[in-house]
Amino acid sequence: MNSQDEIHAAPRGIALKVRLTLWYGIALGVILAIFAGTLYMVLARGLKDQVDRSLEEAATVAVKALEERRVGPYVRFDDLVDEFPELAVLDKFFQIFSPTGTITIQSPNIRRRDIPLSRTALGAALAGRAVFESARFPQEPPIRLLSVPIQYEGTLTHILQIGTSLREVEEMLHHLLFTLLVIGPLALAVALGGGWFLAGRALRPVEAITEAARRIAAGDLTQRLSASQSSDEIGRLAGTFNEMIARLEGSFRQIQRFSADASHELRTPLTVMKGETELALRRPRSAEDYRLVLESSLEEIDRMTRIIDDLLFLSRADLGEIRMERRPVRLDVLVEDIQRQAAVLGQEQGIEVLITLVQPATVLGDELRLRELVLNLVENAVKYSGPGGRVEMALEEEESVARLTVTDHGIGIPAEAQSRIFDRFYRTDDARAHDPKGTGLGLAICKWIAEVHQGRIEVHSELGKGSRFTLILPLAVPAG
Amino acid sequence: MRILLVEDEAKVASFIRRALEEESYAVDVCADGMQGLAFAREAKEGCYDLIILDLMLPGLPGLEILKVLRKEQITAPVLILTARSQVDQKVKGLDAGADDYLTKPFAIEELLARVRVLLRRGSGEAAGVLQVEDLILNPATRDVTRGGRRIELTSKEYALLEYLMRNVGRVLTRPMIAEHVWNLDFDTFTNVIDVYVNYLRNKIDRGWDRKLIHTVRGTGYVLKAQ
Repeated sequence: MNSQDEIHAAPRGIALKVRLTLWYGIALGVILAIFAGTLYMVLARGLKDQVDRSLEEAATVAVKALEERRVGPYVRFDDLVDEFPELAVLDKFFQIFSPTGTITIQSPNIRRRDIPLSRTALGAALAGRAVFESARFPQEPPIRLLSVPIQYEGTLTHILQIGTSLREVEEMLHHLLFTLLVIGPLALAVALGGGWFLAGRALRPVEAITEAARRIAAGDLTQRLSASQSSDEIGRLAGTFNEMIARLEGSFRQIQRFSADASHELRTPLTVMKGETELALRRPRSAEDYRLVLESSLEEIDRMTRIIDDLLFLSRADLGEIRMERRPVRLDVLVEDIQRQAAVLGQEQGIEVLITLVQPATVLGDELRLRELVLNLVENAVKYSGPGGRVEMALEEEESVARLTVTDHGIGIPAEAQSRIFDRFYRTDDARAHDPKGTGLGLAICKWIAEVHQGRIEVHSELGKGSRFTLILPLAVPAG
Repeated sequence: MRILLVEDEAKVASFIRRALEEESYAVDVCADGMQGLAFAREAKEGCYDLIILDLMLPGLPGLEILKVLRKEQITAPVLILTARSQVDQKVKGLDAGADDYLTKPFAIEELLARVRVLLRRGSGEAAGVLQVEDLILNPATRDVTRGGRRIELTSKEYALLEYLMRNVGRVLTRPMIAEHVWNLDFDTFTNVIDVYVNYLRNKIDRGWDRKLIHTVRGTGYVLKAQ
């Protein structure tokens, strides 16, 4: 239920597709806006410059003419135009002011009668400088004015002002602005649509992966992504995903088998206890019968306790919760110790446990665990030896490792089972028949202890002739 | 009724056998898959009235035994017994030809009830009660009545009567009776069968006009209405 919720919660927030498109749109919008703004400004500036230059040209011509001919203060416009046809330009008007700023001559194409000379223009003219000005009157397009001083032998005689309407420029700029405001968003919308489509296309394999992951989460680990074998990012993701699922499936199977095995091993003693107890209770029995049932139950309880202890140890080991000492351990002392212990054990079954060779060897590790390991190997050897059998222990030092061997001449292990005897709960049929009390976990624990000590256990065995288990551990101080 | 029990856990096999024997069934136990298969198939047709099969067996898994048996047209009902409780395992077992399925640990009474059901199925009996004329045998309670009068039977007498009643109208030879009712070899046994049939006649037919147990000369016995 929980995992289902998490899966379905995934689309919460804004989907990646929307976010991609949005980012793309924002970036494009900003670029478009900057482009449009710059275009507008550059064009506006250029157009105004053009107006100014044409005003300047006209002024240059007029000033030159007026200066050369020394026009008196009172001239009729028509005479002036007759004399200087350059002044009769349609799109420009001009005024001539006296040095005091009163109008003396006005071209007829001027619409307003009252465009006075500004104080700035007058000041500049007195200083001998030309000046551009913009002016705006209500209800009219703005105008651009150029005021130029006309001097004769160093004194200001007139001030010439040439003006033109900025209507066309304004109209052009308005037109441009309108175009940009319409085309910009339109282009943005088209781009967003394209971005949406592309994001969807790029994300489609991701959708497929999500769908597969959902099916897998629903418990079907056999699912695989059928993404194309392409080596792009998505292909690689799919590949990685598939590998991960394969590993997951593998370990899931292992766990499944393990828990099935565990439940089988635990059910068997329960079955015996339940069955025998129920059978005993079906009718009155003799005291001896009850005693047998109780004895048998006790055996089964012990068996279950062993299985549960071993299982707990292994699960704690899997979780890394087992604390391991790392101290020098004298393996030779350990071997001699265990031999004494096992010899007593073997005596009851008429099995001899002896040491054939022991060389001093010290390893780093946890003495209790190592003792458990070796004792387990020796107990196994005793268990699977026939009566009158012999178990041999040997400890050799070899370059940087210690080799501890436990050899029996018992029932042996079939070749096909040798690789599996360290698996949890794996027991050969012979082992099962031979030792119904075993848990099937002993060798798994041995293997774990050996590996924690950077060592390993090798097995050589021949069916019916016996087995040799070799524990190989790195020496604390290599020989030499 | 003779039952073959294939189970490798010695203690489990032992208490199941004791429970079945207390119910007057004859039981053979095999602890190994190969041996179990050999027993089931080598025995003469109809030798076992029921096979109780563990799935996890050394030698040969129970499921394989079952498949071989069904392939060879051995139709004795099979009750699977296993510690595996997953549904797909049950389905596999039933599909392979098992008639019933019991998960360990199980209640003895349930096992015995299922055994009764499977044995009943073979005899075509309906309500769990065997009846021939006014003779009624209830395998669940092990009550036997004739004409409403209760008849007390010993365990062996009961087993013999149940076998006869499950095979109404069929002539049962002495070897057949020996195999299904007793656990011993037939050779040393002919006499005992005759003795027990006599006991049974005394309790069932004496005092009644209509006799139910009949001798088939030179062959064996048959239980039938006249």
